[in-house]
Amino acid sequence: MSILVRALDNVGVKNSLLRIEDVSKAFVLSGRAVQALSHIDLDVERGEFVSIVGASGCGKSTLLRLILGLDTEYDGAIRLDGRRIERPGLDRSIVFQEHRLLPWLTVEANVGAALRQIKLNGAEKRARVSEQLQLVGLEAFAKAYPAQLSGGMAQRVAIARALVTNPKFLLLDEPLGALDALTRLRLQDELLRIVRDRAATAILVTHDVDEAVYLGDRIVIMNPHPGRIATVLPVPKAMSRDRSDPEFIRLRDEVLARLGVDRAALRDRTTEVLAGHARR
Amino acid sequence: MTSSVMGASGASTRAPVRSRFTPASLTPRLRPVIVPILGLALWEIAARTGLADPRFLPTLEAIAVRGVKEFSENGVTSDLAASLARDLLGFVAGASIGVALGLALGFSRLLERLLSPLLLAHRQIALFAWVPLISMWFGGGEAGKVVFIALAAFQPALTNTWQGVAGIPKIYRELSRVLTFSGWDFAVVIALPGALPGIFTGLHAALIYAWTATVGAELLLDIAPGIGGRMNEGQHLFHIDLLFLCVFLLGLLGVAFNLFAGALERRLMSWRHS
Amino acid sequence: MSSGQSTDVIENPGRPSGVPCRFWRGFGRVGGLAQGLVVPAALLIAWGFSANLGWLPEQILPPPSEVFGALRETMNDGTLLSSTLTSLRRVAEGFLAGAVLGLAFGFVTGASRLAESLVAPLFLTLSQVPTLGWIPILILFVGIDESLKVLIIGWAAFIPVALNTTQGVRDVPRAFLELGRVLSLSRWSTLRSIILPSAVPSIFTGLREGLANSWQTLVVVELIASFEGLGYLMAYGRQLFQLELVLAAMIVVGLIGLSINLLLSLIESHLQRWNPGRQS
Repeated sequence: MSILVRALDNVGVKNSLLRIEDVSKAFVLSGRAVQALSHIDLDVERGEFVSIVGASGCGKSTLLRLILGLDTEYDGAIRLDGRRIERPGLDRSIVFQEHRLLPWLTVEANVGAALRQIKLNGAEKRARVSEQLQLVGLEAFAKAYPAQLSGGMAQRVAIARALVTNPKFLLLDEPLGALDALTRLRLQDELLRIVRDRAATAILVTHDVDEAVYLGDRIVIMNPHPGRIATVLPVPKAMSRDRSDPEFIRLRDEVLARLGVDRAALRDRTTEVLAGHARR
Repeated sequence: MTSSVMGASGASTRAPVRSRFTPASLTPRLRPVIVPILGLALWEIAARTGLADPRFLPTLEAIAVRGVKEFSENGVTSDLAASLARDLLGFVAGASIGVALGLALGFSRLLERLLSPLLLAHRQIALFAWVPLISMWFGGGEAGKVVFIALAAFQPALTNTWQGVAGIPKIYRELSRVLTFSGWDFAVVIALPGALPGIFTGLHAALIYAWTATVGAELLLDIAPGIGGRMNEGQHLFHIDLLFLCVFLLGLLGVAFNLFAGALERRLMSWRHS
Repeated sequence: MSSGQSTDVIENPGRPSGVPCRFWRGFGRVGGLAQGLVVPAALLIAWGFSANLGWLPEQILPPPSEVFGALRETMNDGTLLSSTLTSLRRVAEGFLAGAVLGLAFGFVTGASRLAESLVAPLFLTLSQVPTLGWIPILILFVGIDESLKVLIIGWAAFIPVALNTTQGVRDVPRAFLELGRVLSLSRWSTLRSIILPSAVPSIFTGLREGLANSWQTLVVVELIASFEGLGYLMAYGRQLFQLELVLAAMIVVGLIGLSINLLLSLIESHLQRWNPGRQS
């Protein structure tokens, strides 16, 4: 809890929590060099929620891995609070697309596993785990095994596990991609609530533009071959998180257009074709 | 089997209760035993009427009588006990070394690279080809037999444990890095539970191989009490009733081993079957 | 199991802090090969030394030169060749008989629930008896001539072939069988185009195990009850305390085992070339 208070204190301080400076990464795939990332520059403020959208192959997931510290071979620098990231740390948590819950541990043991490297006594750990499970609404399933949970529930446990360490940074790698559409919508609301509740700093990688606009404070649009940032669009603070809001729709369509999906043009073209058929 | 239907007035009307013992429902349950019973019946008839040479096909009664005699007088129980003791000793020795080495190879890539050619070569040699060598090094008595049985158990225990550890999905290995697990954390939280199915498969296979090795070793290195020795005796003296009895006992033991291993596996890995 | 994540193109070794392999990394691929040869080379050298320096009596470990000498001798006077051929012939005969019968049995019990419920229990019970356990009885029935070998080796092959074929035929996915009905395939076509290809992996597993069993059983039978073949050579060497002969025969046995495994692997990967998941 004290960490949360301190985070709130820092909101007033205008310094970037995460700085990505001119990061490039190439790797060899079947003998050919592929430029996964090319000169990426990005700053993320404390308490900000950044959505990254882009087609497959634009390097967004690779970027997350670099921020996480799973991969340290790249050009450029990534700094968290001024210090270079050299290896994974408990100050950065990630929720993967698959829940990656250990099937032989109960829900609470899975969440508790993240606390193994943290120096707290047993009671404190249990309290934290319980708090997180309540946050995601799964307190009642603490003793269940992952095999007994639905996809959405398992992913919520994964979120709880990511948050139990009170990370400075929450990384989300297409966390809702494996879920059905209805569950996805529900969990988007949950995520929004959770992130707001903790004033967490987060980066979400997704290919779902609606999700990116719904959750993000800023939208980073990436293009592939080579992976690079095309544009960064701010989400107006005044905009309501309502998918039917004209402002929402406008922003979404703009993102889609930047990604190469011009819906207005597509609509016009369809109208033309149908009119053509009618004339004959 | 009853079925009830709610009538419009809310009262339930029951369909007639079907008796559980109609001929139609009986047949599926009988099917597994029809052939064996028929077979045994034919056997008994053939043996009694002299259709089959009684030296080759004794009556079931004769086998049973021999069985009683063996158990009460000739001490086939001590033979069985001796065989099982050897089997257990060899199995425990071989399987534990196999599992330990399998874990080590799974954890250490260096060790794997150093030892795998040797272990691979060892695997190519048919198990029983080791018997002459082992009997020359350790003699044909207890030591030789137990060493051979241990060798038989070692192989599958090692391979399956190794695969169990190596087969831990990459996503869990990555998870351990993300959660900054130490080597110990990784082993305790992820590697060992994850490898457990493989370890069990290995132990199950090792149990079967060890038993086969026990019987084989006793047939080949015919000294001291044991079921294999009994069978050799039966073969030399042309006591076919004894041989049939032994085969029957071997079958029983085989079934027992499999049931035991299966039950143990189910108990210890209940989290798989939610 | 391990989902091919789009980001995981690079093989990042997920090895926990523990073993420092950095010493070898400099050598690259050559290093890997060298590591593999270190132990066998060391053992060979130790063997040579121990014999020359007389550490171990010849009864325990004859020098490598004598083993090679034995190999050369038996090759020259034809015993090695004839023994090998005899052994191989027995395996071939027994395996062929057992495999053919096993396939037939497996198809029938796999396709017909009735047949399965009638014969499977008996078969399963009989297969609980270790194959070797049948040898003494068979010796009384047929003596120790070739028919003993064929029968016992055939039985050893029959069991796994029958079991796996049954399973392969039975486990043809419903979806495929329905497809056959939808396409109005005749029974013969269904068998050929749907059931057979689907069952092939299991059938092959059964054949593979059957061949391995046949080879193992051959060795035992030749040790117990034969006057020719590689097994007999080993028993003969054992009786005359000619360990170099035993070792020489073991080497040949190992080489044959290796050849069988390689051949089976080749066939299997050829048959499974459409299935990326199963190529070992």
